[in-house]
Amino acid sequence: MSTATAEQTETRPTRPTGTRTRRWVIAVVITAASIWSVTGIDITLDRLLSAPGDAWAIFKQMFPPAFANVYERGAVGKVLESVYIAWIGTIIGAALSLPLAFMAANNVAPRWVREPIRQLFNAIRAVPELILAGILIPVTGLGAWAGTLAIGIHSVGTLGKWATESIESVDTGPIEAVEACGGQWVSGMRWAVAPQVMPTITSYWLFRFEINVRASAVLGMIGAGGVGSELVSHLVFRNFPEAFAVLLMTVVMVITIDTVSGAVRRRIIRGSTSSTGGASRSTEAVMDVTGLRRHAKP
Amino acid sequence: MSSSEGNSARPTRPRIRPRAFVIGGVLAAFTVGAAIEVNFDLSFFWEVWSNPLWDMFWPVPWDWVFDGDNVIRPLIETFQIAIVSTVIGCGLALPISFAMSSLTTPNRATYLVSRAVMNLVRAVPDLFWAKLLITAIGIGAMAGSWALSVFSLAIMVKLFSETVDNADPRPLEAARAAGGRHAPIVRTGVLPSVFPEYVAYSLYVFELNIRASLVLGLVGAGGIGRVIESQRKFLRFDRILGMLIIIFVVVWIIERISVSLRKRLV
Repeated sequence: MSTATAEQTETRPTRPTGTRTRRWVIAVVITAASIWSVTGIDITLDRLLSAPGDAWAIFKQMFPPAFANVYERGAVGKVLESVYIAWIGTIIGAALSLPLAFMAANNVAPRWVREPIRQLFNAIRAVPELILAGILIPVTGLGAWAGTLAIGIHSVGTLGKWATESIESVDTGPIEAVEACGGQWVSGMRWAVAPQVMPTITSYWLFRFEINVRASAVLGMIGAGGVGSELVSHLVFRNFPEAFAVLLMTVVMVITIDTVSGAVRRRIIRGSTSSTGGASRSTEAVMDVTGLRRHAKP
Repeated sequence: MSSSEGNSARPTRPRIRPRAFVIGGVLAAFTVGAAIEVNFDLSFFWEVWSNPLWDMFWPVPWDWVFDGDNVIRPLIETFQIAIVSTVIGCGLALPISFAMSSLTTPNRATYLVSRAVMNLVRAVPDLFWAKLLITAIGIGAMAGSWALSVFSLAIMVKLFSETVDNADPRPLEAARAAGGRHAPIVRTGVLPSVFPEYVAYSLYVFELNIRASLVLGLVGAGGIGRVIESQRKFLRFDRILGMLIIIFVVVWIIERISVSLRKRLV
């Protein structure tokens, strides 16, 4: 008996040496990068120590939230306007990105067509909505239409990329079947590819809608319509109870839409084959759209 | 039997349920209403090409763009904000995610409270945080890094706590059966199996933060956005285009590195 335990302690695996030095290198790199960054931005110790107190002082002034005042100023309409902007923006983005995605997928489009479109998606994704809205405002004037266009155009980049990736992962059998019957390219896309990818793409549209709701709330801060302008004006005039009420209304709106849209997305995807065991749908969506997709556990 | 022999056994088209018409009608009505509310105007797409504004984008003043203090320094500040907030956000996210997962939470109260708080934090858009913190602690990069820290914490706990939920519970049970205390149990039983994903998500959050920090300056929270905003006010779109090209190249390089690191990890 005692020999067995002695053997067991002896056969304890040794710690691999390579990972240890690598771990130290990584720790040093991260620490150095953090220190370099902290010294670069104007963080000083006294500001750092006084910040929580300042934040708390403002937070105390926010109670109780003044719902009646913001309701009179039409804050509910502003919150809804943010939803409208996000909805129409998502529809514009979906309508523009869907045909482009079919032309950008490497299994159904020739190289000279797909490369420019892929670069277009990349270029669009690189420009944030807020900067896009800033450029569009002189063209369209202040208001909801500038924000809608900014969201619509920006969504083309991400929606196009996601849709392209799901088109690239389809089963090619049905495409060959359509070709064997003498079908045109468009027929192949409509009858062989679209039935396979539309549930996924529709759920991406909804996922993007959830993102766009937050984005449209923010767009109001630079005058592109929606609830952001309300928050900014109350904060500028230091009407903290009113600002807090607007903030709470935004939070309720965002959570409601996330919940409803998430439930619809689950309903659309349920029964689809792309399951990774027990991972939740939002994790899966993120894995899909970021290429983090994990292999199923043994 | 007979139907399966001939070609006439074409499958019948599934009937559309009446509920689909109701849902479709409601969605169509909502869409039309929303389009009216946002002054939907398709003429933009063709009238915009004749707008004299586009001439202002060209030529790009490259000497101004590459003149150190104009673009490069604020861009470096932007990345510094992103680095600080990723480190703070993801660092805090590690213990909070374990508190938020039903597998590793120390007790029911911690679980419920941390979930509720984090859901609320995540529902506030990132630039709202920036604006609130600017009001509280003053204009500058510090408010921006606080705001991004809070926001990346909220995203990170969402992603990572779901990973912890799906971790293999058996090592945890073994450690518990061996009589370990809570913190060491979690550290030795769960952390090793989910740590690669933690790093991968951290890199992903870093990419998000790089993109988010570009626009923080638009509301006064430091970084390159401040320069974009001031040039926009002077309608110097040629300079903005130059900045956007620089940003595009740098962000693209960072993203490539991050994506290749993540591919190796997961």
